[in-house]
Amino acid sequence: METRRKKHMLLVGKWSCYSLLLLLAAVMQTLPGFLTIAGARPLFILPLCMAVSIYEGEFRGALFGAVGGLLWDLTAGRVAGLLAIQLLVVCFMTSVLVQLFLRVNHMNFILLCAAAVALVTGVDFLFNYLMRGYSRSAWYYGTVILPIVIFTSAAAPLSFLAVRRVFERFARTE
Amino acid sequence: MKDFFSTVKFKILLCVLVVLAGIMAWAGANNRLTAAPQELLGAILTPFQKIAALGSGGLADLWEKYTSIDSIVAENEALEEENAELRRQLVDYEKLQAENQAFRDLYQIQQEHPEYTYASAFVIGRDALDQFGSFTIDQGTTDGVEKGDVVVSDKGYLVGRVTEANLTSAKVITILSPSFNAAAIISRTRDNGILSGSADYVAQGQCTLNNLTRDTLASVGDEVITTGLGGEIPADILVGTVDQLVPEVSGQSTIAVVQPGADILSLTHVFVITDETA
Repeated sequence: METRRKKHMLLVGKWSCYSLLLLLAAVMQTLPGFLTIAGARPLFILPLCMAVSIYEGEFRGALFGAVGGLLWDLTAGRVAGLLAIQLLVVCFMTSVLVQLFLRVNHMNFILLCAAAVALVTGVDFLFNYLMRGYSRSAWYYGTVILPIVIFTSAAAPLSFLAVRRVFERFARTE
Repeated sequence: MKDFFSTVKFKILLCVLVVLAGIMAWAGANNRLTAAPQELLGAILTPFQKIAALGSGGLADLWEKYTSIDSIVAENEALEEENAELRRQLVDYEKLQAENQAFRDLYQIQQEHPEYTYASAFVIGRDALDQFGSFTIDQGTTDGVEKGDVVVSDKGYLVGRVTEANLTSAKVITILSPSFNAAAIISRTRDNGILSGSADYVAQGQCTLNNLTRDTLASVGDEVITTGLGGEIPADILVGTVDQLVPEVSGQSTIAVVQPGADILSLTHVFVITDETA
């Protein structure tokens, strides 16, 4: 009984840490002027959710991705659910790819992040810019979307390290 | 992995997916951006954003300094002479000064427009993917802010309109967005037009006044103000000055490129017109 209670507490502790990291990521992502270079700045929610899905598996990772996506929808002022669905799918696919084909290391995570950010921002670009017929779409893609992909990929190891630290800390205690 | 697709967990994920799609459909059908679960998340997140936004000016400065490290090294030697106590006092002083300035500005625009009630609000969030300057403020429905309320800068220049009001925060669409439309005129010539954002000029922080007549007498430097037509934006709110006049593609009208009086892309403090008694 004592062991089960301890396990339960550890589980609560671990997911509380992940949730705090998610809130921190959301705040950093929306903080006016934070890490802004030439009008572009990195995303933090997506890499964090991907890192959690790598360590926690496809089911928990996908659910965490959905929550992260809802938070992102909220902070970005997007229609509720669109980014949540995208992050659910991206986190599920990330976990599956890591389990079946990829080794877990920094370089693979950066490449995965780059692909995922390109996909998610590409969908956003398609729905919120291209399909609305705004002019200078190539300029916008080159000066806003691509720098976001590069900055996010460069900052992705921070999320990876933070999640790995939380995961290993609780795994060791367990 | 093949087995996973026949497990209960996979079915749960599918259910979550369907629920999310349902939330999205509901939000879209009701012309809302957020749904109930998000309002809860928003209420949790807003205090964190407020705290972080308090230090955002400092963080932005820090980042700027980092990118120009050479000049900072020299400056750093001079700055080291200041002790910690003096710096803390300076921070307190600057905070008081900013608050004082905000109240002075509020007093001034209240003198100019006594018929409006204003709510002071700080910008606490900006979306990295939104290039049209939309932002989140730290005032919501509990502070009297409602969807459709007009947002102006410290100096009383038009900034945008509230598109979504939650309990403790609100989303603002700016005049740089092509989705924003308001009736406006050139103050000197009384030429009518539609004020809107344009992807062509957003990088310069400018918006456009469309549908001016081809032979308009407007010229560079003329003031642009709102007319109040349509009832969404009150009349006589300053927008900015005409920066250039360009012919519309078809040649049938003229577009005035307007330099807003407020620096929309780097605003940190605004006022929301919560009530119009006139």
